[in-house]
Amino acid sequence: MYNLVIKDLKLGINRMFFVFPALLGLLMLIPSWIYFLVPMYFYWITVPNMFNNFKTQNDMMFTSMMPVTKKDMVKARVAVIVILEILHIGFAAIFGVIHDLVYANLNIGYQFFAPSMGFWGLCLVMMAIFNIILIPMYYKTAYKFSVPLILATAAAMIYAGIVQWVGIENKSMSDIFNVTIAEHIGLHASILAAGIVLFAAFTLTAYRIAVQRFLKVELL
Amino acid sequence: MLALDIRNLNKKYPNFELKDVSFQLEKGYIMGFIGANGAGKTTTIKSIMRMIQTDSGEIRVLGKNMAEHEIELKQEIGCAFGGIDFYNRNKIKTLTDVIKRFYKNWDEAAYSGFLRRFKLDENKKIIELSTGMKVKYSLALALSHGAKLLILDEPTSGLDPVARDDLLDLFQQLVSGGEISILFSTHITTDLEKCADYITFIADGQIVNSAEKEEFKESYLLLNGSENELSRVKDRMISYKVNSFGFTGLIRSQDFDPSSGIKAATPSLEEIMIYFAKKEPAYV
Repeated sequence: MYNLVIKDLKLGINRMFFVFPALLGLLMLIPSWIYFLVPMYFYWITVPNMFNNFKTQNDMMFTSMMPVTKKDMVKARVAVIVILEILHIGFAAIFGVIHDLVYANLNIGYQFFAPSMGFWGLCLVMMAIFNIILIPMYYKTAYKFSVPLILATAAAMIYAGIVQWVGIENKSMSDIFNVTIAEHIGLHASILAAGIVLFAAFTLTAYRIAVQRFLKVELL
Repeated sequence: MLALDIRNLNKKYPNFELKDVSFQLEKGYIMGFIGANGAGKTTTIKSIMRMIQTDSGEIRVLGKNMAEHEIELKQEIGCAFGGIDFYNRNKIKTLTDVIKRFYKNWDEAAYSGFLRRFKLDENKKIIELSTGMKVKYSLALALSHGAKLLILDEPTSGLDPVARDDLLDLFQQLVSGGEISILFSTHITTDLEKCADYITFIADGQIVNSAEKEEFKESYLLLNGSENELSRVKDRMISYKVNSFGFTGLIRSQDFDPSSGIKAATPSLEEIMIYFAKKEPAYV
């Protein structure tokens, strides 16, 4: 499995996509921006490019000639997706902390979610939704990715849109996420923990369904 | 010992079917796997590599069941698909660095030796290699991880005659030690006339014949005769062509009566393939 991850990191994914999360994290420094957009670049740019490269470079046939199991092929690919997701959210969170330090003495009003632990929990749920749709759907064929990607992206964006809309419309939620963050640190930590649990559970479920499907796929 | 033992392989697709495919390759020999485009060569090879799931049948590699020992046996198999590139924008050394991690018997010294022998520059990108060099790179990888069975799907297609001859000589050198065996699919039969020890012929998803090369060729006869003579053998012929001089056609040696007076000669592999292709699929 480890060798397959190394294969994807060295051959399958352009190095630019490992620099991207750090560059895109800089968007967190824009005051009062829609920060939900920052991790979305992962599935807008990184995922389509990555999957397209796997397809054009005949990765599936290349890998299937190696002494590896189909289960490990899926496990490694899911691991790579998770690594990139964590990089995107991780760098965004780091720049979120820098954002707080830079703007600590400025009275910035937030219309959309401010960077906070709870917000990163909501972002992890967004990635969880993305994974549970993309991964099992993709492994029905292991080469057609357009429809799975469109559906997963749409679902993740609809979730983000609804959560953000509630965050604007609902006064108490808006206060908890934008004004009284420090006073609700326990709640924020709980949302983050719930986000981590949901992300892990959805991704693991996606992996298990994907393995079952991939075992039936014929590499033509 | 058998390097490859395939028995009663079946695989049904909506428009194509592998039917009871069986053949055996002795260790230390080259087997040419011939058939027209779409005959089932690649499907059989993909079945051996377990890239597709067969409906029934058994594949044994070096005495072990492939279904039960897939990972272990893939350490002993070198596989190359002609005309299909992988990560062709990467340099040879980058690709090798990734590939060698998968093989427990990787021999770096042997790999360096093969690079020198095949005149491969590690700093070249895959896309910069000629078709022949790509095959040689695949062989260098396979031989460096100690592959005992080389499965090559159309490795000589797209090669010029010089590169092809060079590669065929190399195949013969590789098997000369008796340890390495090669299954080599092609529709370019002249390649097999030069280097194959055994021939397996597949047509319309079924094995027509699998035998030692000369025995394979001698099991058929190419007949030449007048139109009157044709009427005497027509029913027993695999197929024939009629021209202004009479007819030319292929017949199984066992179906031919030498006392008939019709001129008969041993056909080439190409002639066997051509006349089988002319036959109605249902009778193959």
